[in-house]
Amino acid sequence: MFNTIKELVTQSQLQKQPLWQTMLDSEQQATKQQASEIWQQMQARYQVMKTAIERGSQGKGVHSPTGLTGGEAVKLKNYRETHQTLSGSTFLMAVQAAVATNEVNASMGVICATPTAGSSGTVPGVLFYLRDRLQLSQQQCLQFLLTTGAVGLVIANNAMIAGAAGGCQAEVGSAAAMAAAAAVEAAGGTPQQSSEAIAIALSNLLGLVCDPVAGLVEIPCVKRNAIGTTDALVAADMALAGCTSKIPADEVIAAMADIGRQMPKQLRETGLGGLAATPTGKKIKMQIFGKKFPADL
Amino acid sequence: MKQYQSVFDIIGPVMIGPSSSHTAGALAIGQVAYKLFTGRPQKITIHYYESFAATHQGHGTDFAIIAGSLGLNCNDQRILTSIKAAQAAGIKVTFIEEKIPSPIGHPNTALIKMVSGKQRLIVCGCSIGGGKIEVPQIEYANCQLKLGGILPIALGSLQDVKFPSEYQKVLKTNSLVHSYALFQQDANQVLVIYLKRNPTITEQHQLLKTFPKLIILEG
Repeated sequence: MFNTIKELVTQSQLQKQPLWQTMLDSEQQATKQQASEIWQQMQARYQVMKTAIERGSQGKGVHSPTGLTGGEAVKLKNYRETHQTLSGSTFLMAVQAAVATNEVNASMGVICATPTAGSSGTVPGVLFYLRDRLQLSQQQCLQFLLTTGAVGLVIANNAMIAGAAGGCQAEVGSAAAMAAAAAVEAAGGTPQQSSEAIAIALSNLLGLVCDPVAGLVEIPCVKRNAIGTTDALVAADMALAGCTSKIPADEVIAAMADIGRQMPKQLRETGLGGLAATPTGKKIKMQIFGKKFPADL
Repeated sequence: MKQYQSVFDIIGPVMIGPSSSHTAGALAIGQVAYKLFTGRPQKITIHYYESFAATHQGHGTDFAIIAGSLGLNCNDQRILTSIKAAQAAGIKVTFIEEKIPSPIGHPNTALIKMVSGKQRLIVCGCSIGGGKIEVPQIEYANCQLKLGGILPIALGSLQDVKFPSEYQKVLKTNSLVHSYALFQQDANQVLVIYLKRNPTITEQHQLLKTFPKLIILEG
């Protein structure tokens, strides 16, 4: 078992194995399950992610009961297919998949939390983009998810992954760090390069607050996942290029925890500060909760 | 003990949105109450604190915590209509937004009270992120339990039984047992066993063989 990113990297280096294998060993030890049972459970989660992306990207897309979010994954898909995009059509596939997932989440559809529901688009966004770009087999996709889980475990146990505890940096920031590490590995990078990618991805989102309009998981959560995927991919590319973070991953995680603890409660999932407290944010809240919330009917 | 132990604490749960802490986590706190309560409650009262009090409506916390209290899972479509289902079953459901800080010091805190006749249960839990919960306070079988909070635990009322020596022997030799505590209030006794990890099915059967009244709350 590993408690830090350093331990995860060192154990993998010593055993001459990828990060996902170290996670698998640790999981077998911690839960006394067979490897086949673990693969099976991961496969089920992979399927949920795939279905959510498909649901959000098809036809008119999905829309939340409030009408605040939805249909934008489809807009991205159409735009990608008919325009010379600025950031590249394949890159925008990751964004589309992330937005699709979070639109399904906001519509109260079934998703897999990675590590949370509010940040559930980031990891699948990166994964399903790389699946096509790197021609990953399904087994490699499941390995990708094991690696993201390993990083997420370290962050969750040493810092936090709840917006109410540490802001959005703890949710989308953590998800981006998780995806960045796995992206490096999927592309053939070393465990140390994964560690650099974690540090870079998380550093770039430090301080990000959780300020959901009307206390819903819609604005800005859906689009924050678009940024989560791009942050992860850019950090992974930088690490693969040999760029390094002067501050080691474990210290960045500790900094994230520290910033989270210093964050005022208005910016920790209370819907009282930031975008939620703007004139438009408040107006939206009034409009929605003036009447009964649709899902409670 | 670490709060998050399995890769599926991070990659999971598979759930109906929108929030792992405020929807799936709230549901998990409800499930603890469901497992500890015998039969159907007449009344369920939910007290919300801090972030839960501020955003429970937008995050679907209300239907989620009631769904859990009725024993539903977080990926079950029926959770969306759980409040209506509870009311249709004659259960009085009340939500209270508390203005005071959480009694257990976490922003995502919910306290569930369930009542039926003389039976009374209080579960005070917090949702720590990604669907994981901790349960630091429970009132069960007329005993106040102050717990570490981290699950899994197993607990059972010893109302009609003394604490026999063979119990102690099992508790000391079972490799799953981290530690245990005996809570006593008047004539009531509750045994709480802190487990190192979620027991496998076989291990659950072994535990229940020695302690038939045990209720296992998985983490």
